[in-house]
Amino acid sequence: MKLLVVEDEPSLLQSILEYFIQEDFLCEGVAGYSDAIGRIDAFDYDCIILDINLPDGSGLQLLQYLRQYKKEEGVVIISARDSLDDKITGLNFGADDYLTKPFHLSELNARVKALIRRKYAQGASVLEAGNLRLDLASRSVSCSNQVVSLTKNEFDLLAYLLNNKNRVVSKQAIAEHIYGQQADNMPSFDFVYSQIKNLKRKLKEKGSDDLLHSVYGLGYKLSL
Amino acid sequence: MNKTLLQKNTRILMVWLPVVLLACSIVFYVLMRMQAHHMQEKQLLLKQENTWNAFLGKNGQIERNISGEYSIRQTDLAAINNENAVRDTAIYYAEKKKLLPFQLLSSRYQWNHQTYVLTTYVSSTEISHLIIKVFLTEICILLLLLIAIVFLNRKNSGRLWNPFFSTMQKIQEYDITRNPGFSLPAETGITEFNALNQSLTGLISNVNSAYHHQKQFVENASHEMQTPLAIIRSKLELLINQPNLTEKAAALLGDITEANDRLSQMNRTLLLLAKIENNQFPSVEAVNVSQLLLQLLHNFKDHYEAFPELNCDIAEGVMVHANLSLIEILLANLTRNAIVHNLPGGKINIKLTASGLIMENTGLPAEGNPEEMFERFRKGSHQSRTTGLGLALVKQIGNVYHYHISYQYSNGWHRVAVVFG
Repeated sequence: MKLLVVEDEPSLLQSILEYFIQEDFLCEGVAGYSDAIGRIDAFDYDCIILDINLPDGSGLQLLQYLRQYKKEEGVVIISARDSLDDKITGLNFGADDYLTKPFHLSELNARVKALIRRKYAQGASVLEAGNLRLDLASRSVSCSNQVVSLTKNEFDLLAYLLNNKNRVVSKQAIAEHIYGQQADNMPSFDFVYSQIKNLKRKLKEKGSDDLLHSVYGLGYKLSL
Repeated sequence: MNKTLLQKNTRILMVWLPVVLLACSIVFYVLMRMQAHHMQEKQLLLKQENTWNAFLGKNGQIERNISGEYSIRQTDLAAINNENAVRDTAIYYAEKKKLLPFQLLSSRYQWNHQTYVLTTYVSSTEISHLIIKVFLTEICILLLLLIAIVFLNRKNSGRLWNPFFSTMQKIQEYDITRNPGFSLPAETGITEFNALNQSLTGLISNVNSAYHHQKQFVENASHEMQTPLAIIRSKLELLINQPNLTEKAAALLGDITEANDRLSQMNRTLLLLAKIENNQFPSVEAVNVSQLLLQLLHNFKDHYEAFPELNCDIAEGVMVHANLSLIEILLANLTRNAIVHNLPGGKINIKLTASGLIMENTGLPAEGNPEEMFERFRKGSHQSRTTGLGLALVKQIGNVYHYHISYQYSNGWHRVAVVFG
């Protein structure tokens, strides 16, 4: 999968690239509008991660350029602007998703993967790890062909961890992924712990043991 | 004692005008008396001249004495008393059966080597009647004048001060957070009020721009902070994914992550506050508060294992006209506060009616003045995961929709009341 990251902040660009390279993406990063146009003209990408505020132009202009030349790249906007209007404008200009800074890389990863699934692999919406199968289309989970019944939150949590397989995902990232802005209203992330505990128990019952690991209380990792 | 301008003005006029008018009347009376006296003297002299001429013309063959008119006496005396001076006297009128006041003037004349004393009379009744009538007329005119002056003054003051009162009203209606567009007429037709309006317009535009800059600063600062926060967050995520992470390093990273998250949250809230202040939530719809509150409580119960004992009295179908997100934020912040600042095993009472919402929770008394609870970064307790902005946000949203929000603490209960405007 080829990915283009357009972000003017070098440190952030570098972090994003590092994260996605570990996810086996073919990544390229540019810091400005004109560089980005050059790359888009020369190559085809599966997904573009796009910052709106660029030193020599606007990400929205870039979006217009893409749609004008009928480029089919999926675009995820990353922006410091978080108002609904900004989001609607971005999506109207043809972006597929909109993420507000500061975001979690694991969240960005999950969004990019979801986008790529939607755009290119119609129907193939199954995430797998060992004998665990999670079907996003039918929202069902099975373990060695045994159905595991999960609550909505547990399902979202498991899908999130599967999207970020073999990565440590922080408690905060999980909380924000499941509850969005409401995560701000929580005095502690204990509920993440209890959700994980329930999930572990349910998976263990169906014979899929030892998938979820806690990492020094920082977060959780799904690995075989 | 403070009185209105008009009252004060009328009062001064009512005290001083009569005094001035009274003094004028006295002067007028005295002057009129003097003039009357002078006129009588002239009349008496004229009468003497006419009578003496008649006397000489007829060679002394005229009536020597006509009562009330004149008398001519032959005398041997070289001098008489009070010659050429006007004196008062009285003459008896039989038909009226009374003495009537007169004035007389006596003079000496020589004719045919004889000395004559000619005395002429003029009635003073008419003149004193005239004086009284003129004086009474004058009093009437002065009274009319007094009334007219006061009336005109009142009427005119109202008109003169009109620009002032309209300026006053505009200033009273002015609210920096809501209507920064403020203009006073530059031309009122009165120089002083023009100057006043000009100074006020200048003052308010300065205040407006200071306020605008402050708002802009908060919003810009919050925006600019997003990027460094995003960088820190991304680096932390890469760090916790390092393969050779030690437990010690993990603990440090955990603390940094938590602090960074709090900072992000605070920043997000500040930005939200700035946006509400900048009126960036203009869309308004009918919001079902009852439904929203129940949904919210359901979610909160989901998140919290130790949700306090809840006592709900929520009326159905309570609607407000507002922005959905803002109402959601308001309710979520109040509920969150009630949970966070509660005691272990505490309680929450919620009462929602068409007119307002009352949220009570058990808890330790808050530090500081209850009035200041709604200010930014005012914390009642040292909870680590609170930003001190929750109630400021509630207040700000309340301001947008003119909700009255109050807080009090009594007998171990915190109580926040929101009255829908």
